[in-house]
Amino acid sequence: MENNHKVLIANRGEIAVRIMKACRKLGLEFVSVYTAEDSSSGHVRLARETGGPKSLYRISSYHDANELLSVADDAGATAVHPGYGFFAEDFRFARRVTERSRPLIFIGPSWRVIRELGDKINTKRLARSLGVPTVPGSDRPIYDELEAEKVARTLFDFQLQQGVARPLVLVKASAGGGGMGIEEVRDVDLFRSVYRRIRNYAMRQFKDEGVLIEQRIRDFNHLEVQIVSDRSGKNPVHFGTRNCSIQSTGLQKRVEVAPGFDPSSVHYDFDAARVLEDITGHALAMARKVGYDNVGTWEWIVTRDGHPYLMEVNTRIQVENGVSASIARVNGEKVDLIAEQIRVGLGEPLGYTQEDVTFEGVGVEYRIIAEDPSANFTPWVGNIERFSWEEHPWLSMHTHLPPLSPEAPYAIPTEFDPNLALAIIWGKDLNEVRERGMDFLEHLVLEGRNGKSEGLKSDVEFLKQNTARMLRF
Amino acid sequence: MLDVTSLLESIKAEPYTEMPVRAPHTGVINFAGVREGDRVMGPCGEWKEVPGTRIATITREHNPKPVAAFDKGVIQVLNLEMEGHFVEAGTEIAVLRHYLSRDEVVRIILRKSLQLFCAPERAKYYFVPDVDKKVKISGSRSVTVQDGMELFIVSRMKREVPLIYHGAEGVIYEVYFKQNENVDAGSPLIGVCPPDQIAQIEDVIARVQMDWTEAE
Repeated sequence: MENNHKVLIANRGEIAVRIMKACRKLGLEFVSVYTAEDSSSGHVRLARETGGPKSLYRISSYHDANELLSVADDAGATAVHPGYGFFAEDFRFARRVTERSRPLIFIGPSWRVIRELGDKINTKRLARSLGVPTVPGSDRPIYDELEAEKVARTLFDFQLQQGVARPLVLVKASAGGGGMGIEEVRDVDLFRSVYRRIRNYAMRQFKDEGVLIEQRIRDFNHLEVQIVSDRSGKNPVHFGTRNCSIQSTGLQKRVEVAPGFDPSSVHYDFDAARVLEDITGHALAMARKVGYDNVGTWEWIVTRDGHPYLMEVNTRIQVENGVSASIARVNGEKVDLIAEQIRVGLGEPLGYTQEDVTFEGVGVEYRIIAEDPSANFTPWVGNIERFSWEEHPWLSMHTHLPPLSPEAPYAIPTEFDPNLALAIIWGKDLNEVRERGMDFLEHLVLEGRNGKSEGLKSDVEFLKQNTARMLRF
Repeated sequence: MLDVTSLLESIKAEPYTEMPVRAPHTGVINFAGVREGDRVMGPCGEWKEVPGTRIATITREHNPKPVAAFDKGVIQVLNLEMEGHFVEAGTEIAVLRHYLSRDEVVRIILRKSLQLFCAPERAKYYFVPDVDKKVKISGSRSVTVQDGMELFIVSRMKREVPLIYHGAEGVIYEVYFKQNENVDAGSPLIGVCPPDQIAQIEDVIARVQMDWTEAE
């Protein structure tokens, strides 16, 4: 690979740190950006300490494409890595980056692929055309209250006909994602108030009032298939499955486990191995159909009786990429999916096939977040004073927190989610990974105070409570 | 009741504020020909549609964006050594001395006279939809608030929660927050005037209008 590239990291926090480290591993230069609120973040510190000339710029917003591209020009960047969130799934940004007078490489899928699959509606249509099962519901955003209510009534009736005792409907902001702007409706007579709440929320947060209405499938597992492909778009491979069923009440992921099911140690009432095979097969078929050309994730709902439904495709690297990498080997070697994304993004051929990818053991990722699980996972804001853990060969910690002390705490910026770290733990089987997970959480030191001198609240106890039920329905 | 006379005297002793003009974003800066000591104008017109005096232009990604004076005043400091250089967001490019107008003095005094309801945490604040509609159509003074009323939506870290108003019953006399902008913890959101104090408040305003002589 040519290593005369310089990568603009158009993101912040943990993913910015990961991209910097991957660039250094690949011998590439990088340029990082930060806003005033992030000035004490570890990603700023790492860029100062390890970056070359013109490797760190203060900008006004991570959402300002003009600024990002002007930084790219001033720093001499040749490629842009969007990370996750912000511009990662914005096909207009990807197109602009690659088609401007001084073109840059967009390290992500090509803009046509993002446009095709980044839209939940398009994805649903494509999936249906390939015979891939999708969740019953509207196949376009709805802007009209009466029409929305009609769809909801149809879905309630459909579930009653199917023998569902307590039918549920989900109202989702069509421009939303990451579990935000979703609410369920238990009673069709209450539909309008929920619809209006989501519509108003969508308007405030995404400037788009469109909502999707779907059947709410209860009692399911949330699985993902990790896909990697090169610029040819012809050679997608999968890096296995992940189970992301342990979520907050706001439907945000907290624990992710790879593989998605473990029939060798857990009994399922259906053929779990077959389900994993089916969803990876469907994901690869869709990736081939659209010429998928970078990393991406196919998200699935699997019902208790083993029926998978495609939810959506995330045309970007995801937070939980590390847990898939923890169990995957390419020709027997460990893999870093961020480095793989950059390598294929810069035009390198993949260089291996599905047969070269093998899996070993079980991995779990804990998202360590400053929040109060007992109060509906309300974000906690304050200063982090201590954060330490025992080092182990089976543990990888990804964090953007700088070294801390009570004298030099880290103030959580209120502009962003209060994510503190990702802890990825590997074990040879489910029992070992559970033991190691509990061991890690027991020895984790995390302390802080807010402006009222109240102690830090975090999800660590929630993670402990849920370690035992990993990979079980 | 507030001692308006002494408050006015203390404002008269230093009837201006000095405010840094910072680069709103990154880009290459070119100054617009103003000099230190020049008087500049802020945005004006019924809807503030006429921009203030241009201080500089910052070009990023072939998009020149003017940096205009955000208020009227006198340029105290101008960092001309930055001419033609790439500047980062937040870089101080000038300092503006702004002399207080009558309305601003009224606002300062109102802030000390009204019953303030403050932001409990740094977040974005919105009125609940019904109140928002009323404020947009008839103005904030058409809204009467009562203790225990659900008045705001607090938006932070993509979460939205309702916020209950606690305080005296009265009309919303002043609104101190803007939609989509973060408000720091402890900063006032609204100033409420109980019905029995409206006459006194209006007297104070009338007195400032008469007593205050604008410096420019």
